Amino acid sequence: MTDNYRLPESGKVDRSKPLNFSFNGKDMVGYAGDTLASALLANGTRLVARSFKYHRPRGIFTAGSEEPNAMVQLRSGDHTEPNTRATVAELFDGLTATSQNHRGPLNFDLMAVNDLLSPFLSAGFYYKTFMWPRAFWEKVYEPIIRSAAGLGKLSGNEDPDQYDKGFLHCDLLIAGAGPAGLSAALSAARAGARVILAEEDAIIGGRLNAETHEIAGDSADVWAETARAELAAMPNVRIMTRTTVVGAFDHGIYSAVERKTDHLATSAGKPRQVLWRIYTKRAIVAGGATERAVAFKNNDRPGIMLAGSVRAYANRFGVATGDAVSILTNNDTGWDTARDLVAAGVNLAAIIDTRDMAPLHSFAGTSIIMGAAVADTNGRLALSSIKLTNGQTIKTDCLAVSGGWSPNVHLTCHQRGRPTWRDDIAGFVPGGELPVGQSVAGAANGDLSLGAALNSGHKLGNALAKELGLTPTKSQAAKAADEPSSISAFWHVAGEGRAWVDLQNDVTVKDIKQSQAEGFRSVEHLKRYTTMGMATDQGKTSNVLGLAIMAEATGKTIPETGTTIFRPPYTPVAMGTLGGRARGKDYAPTRLTTSHEWGAKNGASFTEVGNWMRAEWYAKQGEAGWRDSVDREVIATRKSVGICDVTTLGKIDIQGRDAAAFLNLVYSNPFLKVPVGRVRYGLMLREDGICYDDGTTARLAENHFVMTTTTANAVLVYRRLEFVRQCLCPNMDVHLISTTDAWAQFAVAGPNSRALLSKIVDDVDMSNEGFPFMACANVTVCGGTPARLFRISFSGELAYEVAVPARYGDSMIKALMEAGQEFDATPYGTEALSVMRIEKGHVVGNELNGTTTALNLGMGGMVSVKKDSIGSTLAKRELMIADDVVRLVGIRPVDKSMKLDAGAHFLERGADTTMDNDQGWVTSVAYSPTFGHHIGLGFVIRGHERHGDIIRAWDGVRGKDIEVEIVSPHMYDPEGGIQRG
Amino acid sequence: MAKFDLQETPRLGGYTKEFGDSGMVLREITELVLTSLAMPMGGKTKLTAAVKDTFGLTLPTALKSKLSTDGQTRLVQTQPDQYFCLTSKPVPSAMASVAYVTDQTHGWVGLDISGPNVREALERICPVDLDPSAFPVHAAARTTMEHLGVLIIRVSKDQFCLLSASSSAESFLHAVELSIKNVI
Amino acid sequence: MIINHPTLGPRDAAEFVHLGDATLMNRPDWQAEDAVEQFHEYLYQRDNPAGDYRELWYHEQGDRSWLVVTRNTLTHEITDVQMARDVAMQQAKSS
Repeated sequence: MTDNYRLPESGKVDRSKPLNFSFNGKDMVGYAGDTLASALLANGTRLVARSFKYHRPRGIFTAGSEEPNAMVQLRSGDHTEPNTRATVAELFDGLTATSQNHRGPLNFDLMAVNDLLSPFLSAGFYYKTFMWPRAFWEKVYEPIIRSAAGLGKLSGNEDPDQYDKGFLHCDLLIAGAGPAGLSAALSAARAGARVILAEEDAIIGGRLNAETHEIAGDSADVWAETARAELAAMPNVRIMTRTTVVGAFDHGIYSAVERKTDHLATSAGKPRQVLWRIYTKRAIVAGGATERAVAFKNNDRPGIMLAGSVRAYANRFGVATGDAVSILTNNDTGWDTARDLVAAGVNLAAIIDTRDMAPLHSFAGTSIIMGAAVADTNGRLALSSIKLTNGQTIKTDCLAVSGGWSPNVHLTCHQRGRPTWRDDIAGFVPGGELPVGQSVAGAANGDLSLGAALNSGHKLGNALAKELGLTPTKSQAAKAADEPSSISAFWHVAGEGRAWVDLQNDVTVKDIKQSQAEGFRSVEHLKRYTTMGMATDQGKTSNVLGLAIMAEATGKTIPETGTTIFRPPYTPVAMGTLGGRARGKDYAPTRLTTSHEWGAKNGASFTEVGNWMRAEWYAKQGEAGWRDSVDREVIATRKSVGICDVTTLGKIDIQGRDAAAFLNLVYSNPFLKVPVGRVRYGLMLREDGICYDDGTTARLAENHFVMTTTTANAVLVYRRLEFVRQCLCPNMDVHLISTTDAWAQFAVAGPNSRALLSKIVDDVDMSNEGFPFMACANVTVCGGTPARLFRISFSGELAYEVAVPARYGDSMIKALMEAGQEFDATPYGTEALSVMRIEKGHVVGNELNGTTTALNLGMGGMVSVKKDSIGSTLAKRELMIADDVVRLVGIRPVDKSMKLDAGAHFLERGADTTMDNDQGWVTSVAYSPTFGHHIGLGFVIRGHERHGDIIRAWDGVRGKDIEVEIVSPHMYDPEGGIQRG
Repeated sequence: MAKFDLQETPRLGGYTKEFGDSGMVLREITELVLTSLAMPMGGKTKLTAAVKDTFGLTLPTALKSKLSTDGQTRLVQTQPDQYFCLTSKPVPSAMASVAYVTDQTHGWVGLDISGPNVREALERICPVDLDPSAFPVHAAARTTMEHLGVLIIRVSKDQFCLLSASSSAESFLHAVELSIKNVI
Repeated sequence: MIINHPTLGPRDAAEFVHLGDATLMNRPDWQAEDAVEQFHEYLYQRDNPAGDYRELWYHEQGDRSWLVVTRNTLTHEITDVQMARDVAMQQAKSS
């Protein structure tokens, strides 16, 4: 096929740059500057799609982003993108596209049988047909609907394209670079405002590129280019083409999608699209207006198009949309199409104007019929003739329809703005409350003539510059003809048969009347019941038509009927764009400890804890599974010495004259009298008395403490401390700063920990007297490196934690391992840590689970009643300190070969498995290599009085029911002699 | 005694990269000593005097850092009563008598990003307005980039210093690197 | 949303963390006779106005200040932003 509908002269495509492309496997040629739609039309391709519901043959309807019909599957393989509007897909060499939503070839769609079934597929058919029986929904109806009413198809593979996001700031954002937007940009930018001019098209000018207007004595597109060049030369202006402003949000924030490489064959590894968040002081919506159709029988055939689009194809792309074009209009702009087509040499068959008045022009060889409309059309896969209301039949292969223009009010609605009706233009204009800082110019505001658009933009640009404290220049708006276009509303042709309102959703005049008859009186209900105005085009060409028909059916005016409003996005946004670069491993940042690299080289397997990667165990060659590694690590630590990276625990530096008083308020236990050089375990409650977090806090100097928090709560605890500091104790002299990342901290645990550290730590009396349990000190290690030493134990062993400035961390783990060689020092991970803390009965998140009190945890004595602390008052409430609450216990299986499961519930032996008989639950379990069997922690009602009792751990999920013995939670070294030794 | 010598390793191993012929350069700032100075309640006069004596600087206000004339010390207000001191050597210990001092050197990773596309690269991750009218040389702000807290300072027209938590240094470097790659 | 920070100027709400009602600053006296009742009111009882609402926001990705923000819950318009510490100091002075 050749480019045989290309007009000889007109258009802005670059005829020196032919581009090869293919549609449904057919090779064709277009030019640089074409869209896929214009290139298809130039090649005479009319049938490009099948409709959503009835699988009716459909063609290209518009020349812009409002396109309801011509959606194609673009590109191939993993790069394929469904539902691309051919009208905005810029042509590039090698482009491949296929039609979608049909079975079998496009010209013989097997699903077209739906068209014959249309009596059963009318308004609300989803709700009516697929309601019953319920069980059919998931297995039968949904798969059928999904495959039949599908649009395009995803590749099913990961999207190979990259996406990005970004942030922009400006005084003034202008959405749309047509005459109004350009004019506003010029006046505001000349006054010195920082302007972002965003245009969804690849070129500046908007409708000016589609018309044959004159501005300031020049052809309008020349003016647009001059304006662009002036703006581009200003440092305070950023022109963004291929950028659609898709949403207006709170406080002047807008979102916009910039299509960086969609017009190129390949993205070359760069982001394909960028989602911008634009912070604005003011914004102008200059999005123009969208033409709408007229409803009449069979008005959906390929070849029936909007008149302004037919004009655009001729003027901008140099394409004739047919061999014999007819025009149906209810307003003057339809005659612009006639004039331009004739000028471009397109054969014009007829002009049908619904208004009963004198013709605006006459054209040789063109029939002009006033006061009539189109009653029906013919042509199986493309239009061949139209039948008029006066009975006349006209042979024509393209019908250009203009039902008037609807201002693009979308962005004005995103913050509850409600458009109002204007009779003189038969359209809705922005109304109600616009988003903060937003104004509207040009056609989007109902200024439909070129002169009015230029003027309104110019004035608004100046006015907003002034509001921003700038001084507007004395420039004038560019001069252009200001002929008002007259319209006489005409919505649909009455009669039998289906007349389409919403082409994308296959909603007809009959559907609207039917839904009205069934009681759907609100436009919002109409929309949802008929699906009118949904899907990718959001009813840009159909909404007003639908409302008008509904108004007529209810006998109300359009303003009385009202309108639905719009939500973001203005045009469809790909999920990949919304995700940006945050996918896969880039979804969230990763935090690494300084021993990470060493660990990775020494068999570490890592687990995510928040954003941290922590070693869970260090596998050795020959170990069959993780349990082997963990058991070995526990035994080695208890027998000799183990080393664990505990850097991830939150560390907060707390200094100030009131630091101790501050800690005394945030911890439930007393902190005023902690001696310098000592560590104290602290328990934090929420204000409601429930336990929140715990950790150790060291007093390094009179006014200097270092708090540790759990890894998971580090950020939350810091936030809460700042709240207490600033909001509750504003007059305390206390200062906080996180030092979590500043120190690499290692637990060195086991009987040989003292001997090992004696080789590392400089000049410290490591004896039990010199550095007793819960001691801390600023020290140096390895001959002078500053360090902190704490004698604390999570494992129950004689243990220390030693911290060095983080950049020494990698070196430190190596030094510790080397110094520990003679003791067979063993690195251990979070699993061994967990086993040992369960053996010792230390609580973690499993037990501090947001529902447990200090009493539940066996730490009731840690809530001081002699002082104020967060949570201490409400912790006194009766139900929280009742005797019969659950208490922390240890458990072990009666049959030592049995495995325990966390989440199992406790029941008395012989009791029925009912909630009434519930005695508590298992929180943590582990295989204890120390004891040689499984152990666990859990909560049992009055559990502290029941050590030695046998109860059942019943697990309905895993179908297990085993007997366990209640023991003290402190299973390993209950007296604590070892850690103090 | 010093049998086990500890080596200091920059978090990113002293990373430095030039991006082709774009002129964009990204470099880990390894020589930086970072100290937090918290102002004791009622201690502004003393701290101001000490800062003047020690660095020849007045206390910075929010959003604007102060650089000493020898270029060796930069002070940034990080909280209403807290300042970060960026130096090449540890601050004199006497500062501890007028401020609560916390060494932050190891808690942060510093990246120096410079080149003609620096604004375009940073606007992919930085929500703060970096236009010279809003963020001139020496301007400083704490903000978030790719979920990470960042202290950003404009060093010169086309050069910024970015400080972020050291534990997530690799992720932060990746974010900045990717931003550069995406715009050159 | 954008919060106009008293010293840092307009900043994206993404830098902040929301806590809730600013009355959380008015923590009752633990030694009051009806302390439990007072704390109960303090912690659980909230107004839910359709209109201006004083609430606490924390500039976590910024200068770590807690702010008292007056926001209209219908329009999101923010009419006042103060440093919570200043507010708390004022309250402490006047009580």
